[in-house]
Amino acid sequence: MARAALLGRLASRIRWQVATVRDLREETAETRTLVLDVPDWRGHLAGQHVDVRLTAEDGYQAERSYSIASAPESPKLELTVEHVPDGEVSTYFVEDLLVGDRFEVRGPIGGHFTWRVEDGGPLLLVAGGSGLVPLMAMLRHRAARGSDVDARLLLSARRLHEVIYRDELAALGDVGVSITLTREQPDGWQGFGRRIDAEMLEAVGPPPASAPRVFVCGPTGFVEQAADLLVALGHDPGAIRAERFGPTGG
Amino acid sequence: MSDEDLWLDGNAIAGLLAELFGIDMTTVDRACATCGRHHEVGAHRLYRGAGLVLRCPSCDDVAMQIAVLPDRRVLTLRGSWTVEVPG
Repeated sequence: MARAALLGRLASRIRWQVATVRDLREETAETRTLVLDVPDWRGHLAGQHVDVRLTAEDGYQAERSYSIASAPESPKLELTVEHVPDGEVSTYFVEDLLVGDRFEVRGPIGGHFTWRVEDGGPLLLVAGGSGLVPLMAMLRHRAARGSDVDARLLLSARRLHEVIYRDELAALGDVGVSITLTREQPDGWQGFGRRIDAEMLEAVGPPPASAPRVFVCGPTGFVEQAADLLVALGHDPGAIRAERFGPTGG
Repeated sequence: MSDEDLWLDGNAIAGLLAELFGIDMTTVDRACATCGRHHEVGAHRLYRGAGLVLRCPSCDDVAMQIAVLPDRRVLTLRGSWTVEVPG
């Protein structure tokens, strides 16, 4: 009986649920945040993702995974979706989705790439482009809990107008936020202006000797580059957690 | 497209693995049959082709193959998997 109850509980954990769009926020020209209502949402950890499933009238289905952007403490589930050229799901989400629309989600998914305040720090977050999304959930979680864990973020983006959550990043207060713009820097830009390298990671810190928990998220090539640099600097490979996204359909 | 663009992390199929095993598999430890190193499933490399292949991030040895067929999924596991199920 206990076993049946347990199996029932486990099975229910990953069932598909209907999400209703409550609000839509334009983050950049190519990126949008979907604010969702999911009845019976059982909560999540910062860094986790959801699978989403769209079903067309003819029964055709498309599934994708998106990182959760909102903190576990947030009353609504938020996903930030970047438009992938020719990506059927991201194009629909970024260009066509309306408040009140519904689609299916299942999750939260994945315990590997997660951080809780209780896990401690220091925290080093390295993001390439929209790889910022799950790391932002960690920073929002940290802020919601009033944590003073030493946290640093290095974000690599091509241009300033492609940086998501810009105002919120500027208002994070005690988080060390560093941005590098790899393609184009506005006049008077104070941040970095090149691809990530060892010198940049050293400047951002914290040093390997302080044994930070490191989370790297971005396109596969970016994550490889960052992870190699971090290991070469002396960071423990076992303390580096990575999440890559690639050309999986968008 | 380079080879580098073609692989992701085990984390990327966490939903499918949870569906198949009933638990979150990304934090499950696997000791590689070839190099002996331990890694969590979420840290393995995922290659998507006709099926799904998870490989050891240290030595590329095959850890899991998943063939998705119309009426069933066929899993092949290699190495030493330590799976803890609550209860």
